[in-house]
Amino acid sequence: MLANVAPSVFNGLILGAFYAFVAIGLSLIMNLTATINLAHGSFLTLAGYLAFTLVSKGTSFWFALILAPLLTVVVGVLVERTLIVPLYKRDPMFSLLLTFGLALIAEEVYRLIWGPNGVPFSAPGVLGGGISLGFMQFPTLRLFIALVLAVAMALLALFLWCTKFGLRLRAAVQDTEMIAAMGTNTQLLYMVNFALGMALAGLAGVLASGLLGLSPTMGNSLLMPAFVVVIIGGMGSLFGSIVGGLLVGLAISITTLFIPAANEIIMYILMAVVLLIRPRGLFGTEGLFG
Amino acid sequence: MAEVLLEAKGVSKHFGGVVAVNNVSVTVEKGSIYAVIGPNGAGKTTFFNTLSGFYIPDGGQVIYRGRDITTMPNWQRIQLGMSRTFQTPSIFPELSVYDNLLIGVQSQKKLAFRLRLPSASRQREIDSKIDELLGFVNLRHLKDRPVAELSHGSQRLCEIAMSLSVDPRLVLLDEPMAGLAEAETERIMNVIRDLHDRLGLTVLFVEHNMRVVLSLAHRIAVLDRGNMLAEGTPSEISSNAAVREAYLGQEVISHV
Amino acid sequence: MSRQTQGYIAAIAAIALLAIFPVKFGSFSLLSLLHLDVSILSEMLLFAIAAMSVNLLLGYTGQMSFGNAAYFGLGAYGAGLSIHYLNVHFIAATLIGTAAAILGALIIGPFLLRRRGIYFSLLTLAFGQVFYFIAYRANQFTGGEDGMSFPRPYVGFAGWHTNLHEATFYYLMLIVFVAVLTAFWLIVRSPFGRTLQAIRQNELRVRYLGLDTNKFIYVALVVSAAMAGLAGALYGLLIMFAAPLMLDWHQSGDFVMIMILGGAGTIWGPVVGSLIYVIGKDIISTLTQTWQIYIGALFVICVLAFPRGLLGTLLHAIARRDVGAPIVEDTMPHTAWETGTPTGAAAVAVEQKEL
Repeated sequence: MLANVAPSVFNGLILGAFYAFVAIGLSLIMNLTATINLAHGSFLTLAGYLAFTLVSKGTSFWFALILAPLLTVVVGVLVERTLIVPLYKRDPMFSLLLTFGLALIAEEVYRLIWGPNGVPFSAPGVLGGGISLGFMQFPTLRLFIALVLAVAMALLALFLWCTKFGLRLRAAVQDTEMIAAMGTNTQLLYMVNFALGMALAGLAGVLASGLLGLSPTMGNSLLMPAFVVVIIGGMGSLFGSIVGGLLVGLAISITTLFIPAANEIIMYILMAVVLLIRPRGLFGTEGLFG
Repeated sequence: MAEVLLEAKGVSKHFGGVVAVNNVSVTVEKGSIYAVIGPNGAGKTTFFNTLSGFYIPDGGQVIYRGRDITTMPNWQRIQLGMSRTFQTPSIFPELSVYDNLLIGVQSQKKLAFRLRLPSASRQREIDSKIDELLGFVNLRHLKDRPVAELSHGSQRLCEIAMSLSVDPRLVLLDEPMAGLAEAETERIMNVIRDLHDRLGLTVLFVEHNMRVVLSLAHRIAVLDRGNMLAEGTPSEISSNAAVREAYLGQEVISHV
Repeated sequence: MSRQTQGYIAAIAAIALLAIFPVKFGSFSLLSLLHLDVSILSEMLLFAIAAMSVNLLLGYTGQMSFGNAAYFGLGAYGAGLSIHYLNVHFIAATLIGTAAAILGALIIGPFLLRRRGIYFSLLTLAFGQVFYFIAYRANQFTGGEDGMSFPRPYVGFAGWHTNLHEATFYYLMLIVFVAVLTAFWLIVRSPFGRTLQAIRQNELRVRYLGLDTNKFIYVALVVSAAMAGLAGALYGLLIMFAAPLMLDWHQSGDFVMIMILGGAGTIWGPVVGSLIYVIGKDIISTLTQTWQIYIGALFVICVLAFPRGLLGTLLHAIARRDVGAPIVEDTMPHTAWETGTPTGAAAVAVEQKEL
């Protein structure tokens, strides 16, 4: 049994890191603009399909890994600037509904272009197999994914906490009016913030496609768990999303080991428990959204 | 010795590392007009908010008619007889003046949770109560207008009428003069006086205009940077050196 | 004739039209694009009720629920499961389905009440998915991904019964629809309903008028769930099927959009929206396989350009024409306590609140 625990924990952390990644992207957008991006999964899927198309046209996987998220950022920012910006000044419900409409369109468009059944998208051979680290065998692909996610999160943290722009972004979440009054270009802030969210979604999308398989609904299957992670980790807290994600990932994999039948419901149980004990989430800020 | 209606004992409130209110104690006698004054950032609104249930203090107690209401939810405080207004009039923007008052009157008459429409006689009661409130603030002619179309001063009057609709004993006013022109300020001051003189209510208000406070209040508490600087009658306060210093650069504090 | 009377007449005319339809038209085809029959109209009525349930929470109480499909689905499964396992008849199945939805709201309500705004919406989304997940996973009972089909029992009581063929079913739906619509109307004009609307505009002020808003919102939640559950139970009985996708967030979103298409915060808005949605979907799906793109585009356009919805925009235009441009009030009256006319002439700019 014990021999199974270590790989479970590892896999759980990888899964959790994915959820955390998607959750952070959602959180960034939510915290600053009160927009619940129901199309977030669609952007994940888009990145996957873009990577697939690039690779099938001869691009190397590594190049696609960079390019696909970048393209996703471009598409995302275009969408934000044209469709979502007019809604910022309105009730947040409208931007949610807009992203819902976009999600519907996107799903069908993907079906139209790439077929309803998903496409084969696999990582290059070099990422196959495993690396032995003494006490256990690590699948190389998952190690690679873990590495990429960790590096990306570190870069994000660096940006948000160590740059002037990042500071302004964090301050704007607390008090957008004051930041605007101090002369900051809030539109630029919104755009960069959304771009960040898109970058995270894009990267997660490409990696997830290699791991989970690529289909029109791939991104959406990560979306709901990401929302649960945001709730557990706490609204308004990026750190909470990371912790929440890892927690959920671990919970799922441990449960798979001991009570396999419950492994999908465990995150909802976790969510209910957290909400009972601490309605704002583990690291949520009180009263940010009522 | 008049009955003490509201008491704050050593109330403190901090946000993160910032101490907004530090150990402030206040005693409000029934049937008096009490003012809490201080320069900007003095913590008076935060303190006010702990009294009205908008914040729960981190330390100290709030006692109303002998009852510890420190952690009591805001709506319950209203049911006990407190009432408040906000710095920016907190009203129902899409409703008419009449309907704004209706919500409070319904609440006071314990009708708010009902599905059934009030009977004809009940409706007459409601209408006459609303009419009475409108008369007090002289807004009868505007009763069917959407409040969004009212001037700022009239909205404030509407809000004061709303705060009366729940039949309070104690009315808390948060910077009632904020954003008003000189003539309108005079008007609100008269209304506040009438709350006390005509309706026999106890009033506590927050203000930063010393002239207004000295003219209206029976007792004054001066806050500065979260601490209680001085407390007393208008003449005591106006002759207080520390108060003068805190208000350095303010208009000359004329005696009452 | 007052606007209110006009409104009543329009409402009665609409109901009359819906009642006469099967008799006069039977089914109605337009250019072989649109095929309107009692089944589609039944669906339209039921989706209208589901959208009304969202309207109660959002248009009137100001809380956006993105999880009402869960109650809809609970209604359908409640009806289906009770027919399958307990062999109940039509009315009992409907009541059990509705009760299941009410139970669901009673349970998750306290969780939802702790939050407002988009966090509230997020929670409704998440809890909606919990129910979806249960329907999906409990496949021994619910048939899992493929859903469960069940027969439509007859309506019977006191020894008399009748099988419900489509036309009879439609009339039953129409009766339920009118009943729910009337109940909705009675609720929103009651003191309770007025308080809900006040909560939507300024919840803090309602609390500072001595009311526990959580209590009001909880009741609104449960009533909303009951409506959605009733619609779901009847829908399940209409198509004799219950599927997990009925509980999914896509379905919830559809209900919200139906309300928006017609007009949130109006009584007939959800009905108009349902008409647009059901008929629009029917026409578009006849024309193309990729109808979802067009429905999605419809939603996007509606949100961006017509947030008040069809009926909402119409009613707003009528109101504007009646009242004229917003009247600006002069500065505060200076007269004394007797009722006087305002003095002063300074016009005050009126702030139009963004929708």
